Amino acid sequence: MKITKYLIASFIALSITACSSEDEEIITGEGKVTLEFDNSYLTSDLLLSTASYSANESEEIKISDVKYIVSNIRLENEEGEIFTYPKEDSYFIVSETDTDSQFISLSNIPAADYTKITFGIGVDQEKYLEGATGQGDFLTLAQDAGMMWSWQAGYKFFVFEGLYTSDVTTTETAFAFHMGSHGSSVDNYKEVTLSLTNSARVRTTSTPEIHVVADLANILSGTTTFLLDDAAQIHVDAVKSPQIATNVNGMFVVDHVHN
Amino acid sequence: MKKIILFFLAISSFISCDKEEVYTAVPNYIDLQVPSNFPDLEYDLSKNPLTNEGVALGKKLFYEGRLASDNIIACGFCHEQASAFTHHGHTVSHGVDGATGFRNTQPIQNLAFFTEFTWDGAAIHLDLQPIIPITSEVEMNETIPSVLAKLSSYTEYEQLFTNAFGDAEVTSERMLKALSQFMVTMISGNSKYDKVVRNEENATFTTAESEGLEIFDNKCATCHSGALFTDKTYRNNGVPYNTKFPEEEGRKRVSGYESDFYKFRVPSLRNVALSFPYMHDGRFGTLEDVLNFYTDGMTENGGIVDPLLVKNDGSLGIDLTSDEKTALIAFLNTLTDNTFLNDERFAEY
Repeated sequence: MKITKYLIASFIALSITACSSEDEEIITGEGKVTLEFDNSYLTSDLLLSTASYSANESEEIKISDVKYIVSNIRLENEEGEIFTYPKEDSYFIVSETDTDSQFISLSNIPAADYTKITFGIGVDQEKYLEGATGQGDFLTLAQDAGMMWSWQAGYKFFVFEGLYTSDVTTTETAFAFHMGSHGSSVDNYKEVTLSLTNSARVRTTSTPEIHVVADLANILSGTTTFLLDDAAQIHVDAVKSPQIATNVNGMFVVDHVHN
Repeated sequence: MKKIILFFLAISSFISCDKEEVYTAVPNYIDLQVPSNFPDLEYDLSKNPLTNEGVALGKKLFYEGRLASDNIIACGFCHEQASAFTHHGHTVSHGVDGATGFRNTQPIQNLAFFTEFTWDGAAIHLDLQPIIPITSEVEMNETIPSVLAKLSSYTEYEQLFTNAFGDAEVTSERMLKALSQFMVTMISGNSKYDKVVRNEENATFTTAESEGLEIFDNKCATCHSGALFTDKTYRNNGVPYNTKFPEEEGRKRVSGYESDFYKFRVPSLRNVALSFPYMHDGRFGTLEDVLNFYTDGMTENGGIVDPLLVKNDGSLGIDLTSDEKTALIAFLNTLTDNTFLNDERFAEY
């Protein structure tokens, strides 16, 4: 009798152990991910308007506004499987003056260990060509945020404004880069894929935060070097706008992932 | 007995009233009548099916001054039906507070057959085109969020949005879709030319009109091609540079390409007799002025003049005698569509 009791007890104990170890191996359900977009200038946190930063040659800049559209977010897990966040919900505006906008919360993400993230900067032609259907309320958000042009029916993908001085330009002079697609002529939508420093473990019970740092120094000194004394205002330029788009895409790195 | 019947009737009507509370408006879908000599539609109606209620809302919005910051300048202010939906007598269009732009108003007709809009292609979907005039400082000078807030505050729109879209919520998607629905129905394809082409009503060209068509086919139809009378390209036609509007760069303004400087959309010629003045800046008052420009007025303008308009000897222009011009104008007059210009479906009142 006693032996039977012990046997039953040990069976129960075994089965509990077995169950709990299986729980750790099979990852099911859905969770959330937070993307943080943290703007910097080289190794310093970006400060608007007050801080002066060295750009190319003798140029010194004070940045007053940084905004960009982040879109079409995809996550890739260890097995190479890609989860695409629903396109209609996958357009966001990150603004340096709006802290809330720098934290993008994504929900209904299948639980997995994710190792790569892909996102676009701007709005793809496919979305434009969906007309009013495709824009939904993003149109209103973008206009509120000053991310639409008024002379063409299109979005500004990236806004970078401020004042600069140089050996030649001794009084503070305004600069502004506004980059977007050019109607049907130039498609400046570009995507960037970043490897995560450590995997983002999405579980029903845990929400990892992917901390992306955007180094704005890359805008003037990226793949292409821009001297503001050559052109301080770049809005629609078939040569320079795509170069700005490349520099924008090159400014992102994943600094770390909080699990 | 009667009393009992009345009593039951009363009860049953109360019951049906209860049911009415969950009643939702069902819009009436309509078919678009496309003229048989027209190309296929470019506008994707599957994403925005036409309904009587949607078109009605679109028309109301088209003539709604409250889309502008001054609550006066409606779309229909610059797009007048009697002038083929252009701004009669204005070289460049006027906006709020007397502001002026630097472009001549284009007609609104047959837009469902196009994928790009305005003189320079600044909109690549019909739904998105109205954003430009609504938000441009020199036109309606508004913002979409502000327009939506204004419309939401008027009870008349509650019913119109409910009829068209099932509930009273005013969104940019619904507003733009309604405007598109109205514009999609604005088809001009019932001119004398169309009737001749379709063998309708025993319509025939006069001798002058026939001669004009032949000249047109030989000398104009490469660019002004097909049933829409445009090949939808952007071209520099050697129009002299206008120093009044230094911001004007033509298609370059949108594309950013130097080679697109002073290129403009080849305009449709439908209702051209009524859509004066002509060219992107409305510089020419009459069709005679336009033809005289093509024979004698073309010049280098800072861009690359279209090779089609360069003669064998290197000079610019199209050779036309004055008799040929007269015949051409006779033909162009056959493109006037009085059915469209007087169609009550498009009229403000």
